[in-house]
This record gives sequence, C-alpha cells and structure tokens, in this order.
Amino acid sequence: MAAISTTAERTTAAAPPRGRRDANTKKLARIGWGFSAPALLVIAAVTIFPIVYSVIMSVSNVQLSGNGFALNGITGGNYSVLVHAAVWRYAVIFTIVYTLITVIVELVIGTCIALVLERLTAGRGWLMALLLIPWSMITVINAELYGYIYNGTYGVYQYLTGLVGLGHPVILGTPTGAIAGMMVADIWKTTPFVAIIVLAGLVMLPGDVYEAAEMDGASGWTTFWRITLPLLRPTIALAVMFRVLQAFGLFDLPYVLTGGGPGYSTNSLAILGYFAMFKNLDFGPGAAVATSTAALVLLGCLASLRVFRVQVGKENA
Amino acid sequence: MATVSLEQVNKVYPNGFHAVHDLSLDIADGEFMVLVGPSGCGKTTALRMVAGLEDISSGTLKIGTRTVNDVTPKDRDIAMVFQNYALYPHMTVAENIGFALKLRKMPKTDIEARVKETAEILGLTEWLNRKPGQLSGGQRQRVAMGRAIVREPSVFLMDEPLSNLDAKLRVQMRAEVSRIQRRINVSTIYVTHDQIEAMTMGDRVAVMRAGLLQQCDNPQVLYDHPDNLFVAAFIGSPAMNLYEASVTEGAAAVRVGSQQIDLPASVTTAHSGLAAFAGKRIVLGLRPEHLPASGDARPGPTLTGDVDLVEALGSELMVHFTIDAKRVQAEGAHDPDAEDVAAAGEGVARVDPRAPVKAGERFTFAIDADGMQFFDPETGLAIW
Repeated sequence: MAAISTTAERTTAAAPPRGRRDANTKKLARIGWGFSAPALLVIAAVTIFPIVYSVIMSVSNVQLSGNGFALNGITGGNYSVLVHAAVWRYAVIFTIVYTLITVIVELVIGTCIALVLERLTAGRGWLMALLLIPWSMITVINAELYGYIYNGTYGVYQYLTGLVGLGHPVILGTPTGAIAGMMVADIWKTTPFVAIIVLAGLVMLPGDVYEAAEMDGASGWTTFWRITLPLLRPTIALAVMFRVLQAFGLFDLPYVLTGGGPGYSTNSLAILGYFAMFKNLDFGPGAAVATSTAALVLLGCLASLRVFRVQVGKENA
Repeated sequence: MATVSLEQVNKVYPNGFHAVHDLSLDIADGEFMVLVGPSGCGKTTALRMVAGLEDISSGTLKIGTRTVNDVTPKDRDIAMVFQNYALYPHMTVAENIGFALKLRKMPKTDIEARVKETAEILGLTEWLNRKPGQLSGGQRQRVAMGRAIVREPSVFLMDEPLSNLDAKLRVQMRAEVSRIQRRINVSTIYVTHDQIEAMTMGDRVAVMRAGLLQQCDNPQVLYDHPDNLFVAAFIGSPAMNLYEASVTEGAAAVRVGSQQIDLPASVTTAHSGLAAFAGKRIVLGLRPEHLPASGDARPGPTLTGDVDLVEALGSELMVHFTIDAKRVQAEGAHDPDAEDVAAAGEGVARVDPRAPVKAGERFTFAIDADGMQFFDPETGLAIW
C-alpha cells in the first residue's frame, strides 16, 4: 500500500500543477498513508525492528544480567570472535559447499525429470502430483523420516545394506556419512520443486524453433545443448535463486536429523547462530553470525542477480 | 536443385481426420509452386509432409529420384521458412543464419563467408550482430529466409511466411521473395491462404480444398479457365459473380432471374458442353471486368441491374449492383464475414470511368461474352 501512495505522489509531481486536482491527490495520498499505517507499523515491529536490533546487537557489548541483557557500548569484538573461531569458518564453508552440491544435483535431476515429463502425453498430471509429495512435506517430518531410514539399529538403510552384504554402516555416525545423508534428504525433498519450475519453462518454449532446428540438422543432443538449455537459462536462474536462498538458511533438517553433529560437522550458519544465541546465550557473537549470514546471502543474491541480468541483457543486446 | 513429386499422398491423423486426399503434384526443377486454399484445406499438412515434420500415411514422396517417405528432415536436403519465423532467440542474426552450417562442421571462415554473402543478398549486413528480438517483422522474415538459403538446399519450403507482416510490407516482401527465389533458382513450395499472393508469386498454383487438390496450373489459366466453382470463386479479387441460371431450350441463351442473355455463336462453340444442359439449371460466372461498359455503347449481350454503389478508382469504376437472381456461394471460397453481403443477388462490375452510371439507378452492362463461365450446379465442374 505504501508503494501505491508513493506512485500516486510521483505521478502528481510529474503532472503540471493544477490547484484543485493537486489538493485532491494530496488528500488521497494522506488517506492512503492513513490506511497503510497499521500494516506498516506491524511490519516495522515484527520485521524491521528485529533486523535493525540484531545488527546493533552484533556490534555491541552484550552483558547478561539477572532479568535479561544490556547493550554496553559499541565493539567489533563479536566479529573478531567469529573470524577467529574455527566453528564459524567451518560453518561458512560447510553452508556454501552444501548449497553448491545440493543445488547442482537438484538442478540436474530436476531438469531430467522435467524433460521426461514434458514428453509424456498421458499421465503427466498424476506423475506431477506424485512428484510433489516430497516437496509438500514439512521439512521436520522429512527429517524425521530420514532419521528413521538412517537409524543405526532398525533403519531401512541398515537393513538394505545388510541384505546385500555391505555390513551395517551407521550413516549419521560419521561426518561424511551425516553430510551425505543430509544432502540426500534435501535433494529428495526439493528436486520436485526444481523439476516443476523447469517444466513450466520447457512448456513455454516455442515448438517451431525445435522444428527449425530439426530442419537445420540438429541431433537431439545438439538441440538440448544449443537450443533448450540456452532458452531455459532464465528459468534455471530463477530456480537457482530460490534454492540458493533456501539452502543458505539451512536449519530444520540438521536440527532434527543430526543436531549439528557428529561434532560440529553439520553445523550450518543458521544452526551455529541458534546454538550461540539460545543455547550458549552468546548474544553478541550469535547476532554477529546472523548478520554475517544475512550479508553473505545478500552478496550471493546480488552476484547471481548480476549474472542473471547480464545474461538476459545479452539476449537482447 | 531437384524436382519434388508427390504421388497419391494421403495424411490421416490418428483421430481419423483425413487431412490430405490422394495428392499428386510434380514440382519442376527451379519452379515456384504455390499451394493455396482456405484454412484447414490441408496445404500446410502437405508442406509439412514434404518437410518430414509429419509422417506420410500413404503414397510416395520423391525429391529428385530418391523416395524420401522415411528419410529424416535433415537428410532430405530441404530448408523451410516458418510462419512465425522460428528464429533462435538467443543467437545473433549471424549465428541464426550460420547454425545449420555449424552443425555440418563447416570451417569457421567458410561459415563467415557464406553468412556474409547471404546477408548481402538479403540486405541484413548491418544487423548481423543483433538478436532477433531487436529486429522488425520484415527483418526477422529476411533472417528466416537467410537461414534457409545459406544452406543451398535442393528444395525450399515456405509456410505462410508473409502472413505476420503488415499489408504494405507484405506487398514489398512478396516481390523480394520472388526475386530471391529466381536468383537462387531452387524448387520452392510456398503455402498461403492469400490468393493474390498465390497469383503474383507462383509459376504454378495448386488450389486445395478440404484435403483435395482442385486444380493446378499457371495463374492465368486458373483465372481464365477454372475447372470448378470453387476455383472460380476463390481466385480473383473482387471475386467472380456467380448466379443461378438456366439454359434455354436449344441452348442459345441463358436465363438469369428475369433476364435472358443470348449467347453469341463464339460462346456456344467454345462451350459445346452447354447443349447437354438445354432446359436445365447451371451456374453462370461473370468476372467484374467482363461487365466493362454501358450496354448502349456496345452491341451484344447485356445484363441489367440496380446500382447500389459506385466506387471511382480513377482508372475504372467499381459498380456494386443487384439483380433478381440468386448468387451462388462456393463453400469455403469466401471470407465468412463477407458472406451475408454477397448472399443476395449482388454483383460487382469493373466499368469504364466514362460510363454514365449512378447509384440508385438501373444500369445496363455490356457483357464481354468470351469471358462467360458456366458450371454444373450438381458437380460444380466447369462446362466446356
């Protein structure tokens, strides 16, 4: 609503001043602000204030007292703690690597699924509905499900490896196993989302361009690499953006499945921030983790936006 | 370069729709063949079968001496220009034109030279680095042409390539496409629903309706000697005036509404088949230019009508008139929107600008008797 009022004001500013109309528009704008105010206040209270406050907290000396905490002057100490902490450096690398691997795998599998679905003439609707089941599942439930699959004593995975004579590996017991297991759970859940987005993009591609490519002598493989993929680039960029944003906030899956362990091997940035703040009550460093994560995500988004825009620009340039 | 021949080609879709019936056509080397007909007549399906984008249900398709029914599109050595151009949106004009050559693994310098040469023919040189999105409709159309000609195929296929252009540009491109086709001299099959395009561009024109070939000949023969009512009504603008009529006993005259038109000996000789229709119903066809002047100014047969409207075009007058006979419609040959206008006994004449014709008055038109056409109302076939 705020946006609407602003636009209205801009329009009048651009138009030649005419006494009565101008006054009318101003009055309308006032009424508009009046109507928007409650919503803006709520947003300010629940979103803007906490963000600003945690940024302030991250650069403050936070002192715990009997009935809460107090901010005691500005300091860079919280960030210095982070930079010198191996856990934080590990969490940054872990989150980035985790994001990269899961997003790439989801993209490849999701695109394959979308390509198959696009060819299907019968049963596409049913398959799409089936496909969306993992995506529609709440992450916590998904995590519990995989917790059961990976369980060291009665897990499905254990049972299967036992059957084929691979012994009884405890997936969540080793760092590599835990990370891989978590990635599988994540990929299982989010690949359908990528598939649906890519399918939507595929369906929009012009059919006659494919016929033209066929006449030009392009093989199926060439058509995919030279026509389909370039034309899908904006769609894929969109899917990547969504997924990168989500993956960076990785919290519920490790929280339920591994609790960040073994050791701190599955400590994502969000998990680390949560532990620092709410388990160890290290409010200053905790806020610094949250702020630095937000900054990282912002940078990542800006970077991918830039890449995306350059590509779109190139298409028309 | 090569000939294309279709022998008894059929297309039946899985849902039972018979899109093309027993189509037989021979396109000579370097010939510009136009397939024309109303929408849904099977012309595009026929073209797509030649392209290999649709399977041939039965019959034989030959390019040169080779039967290509089961040959993939890329191995048929043909190039196609699509209705919506189908340019690759992510490639520049140069990349679009050179794509097929690149796929053939032609050396880069050769590709560049060929692309450059093609761009010069089409006047695209300064746009080579643009993307299709930045080009006008006419330029995109030329890129589509360029993509086809750069490959030096043995056959060109064009599917309504001008239908997305505005009227003025269409006229311009019509000439340009003809010019390019003549210059590179490649056998071409061109599909359109626009009979003017067909007449102006084709060496020969194949008129189709409801999956059936009606007539295939050079444009002037189609115009002067249509084989049937449909071709007569479809070719020509303004359309031929077609009226229900009857032949008098002895076949020396025809009756149209309340008027009797005596047939000169030249007509009865040329259309000797009319004798068999003595006393029977026929359809009389008169093109607007065969009603060229006032009946008072010329001897011979005349037709009298009530003048509704006179359009002065300078070189001639378009006279819209009504007579008391029923106008005949050939199904599918007319624009459906115009149908109610032509439903009564209306007609159009192209009259000498000096003729004393006024809207709201009766006027007697001289008939150019040699231009008269006669059709069997049952079969629709021309009577000769």
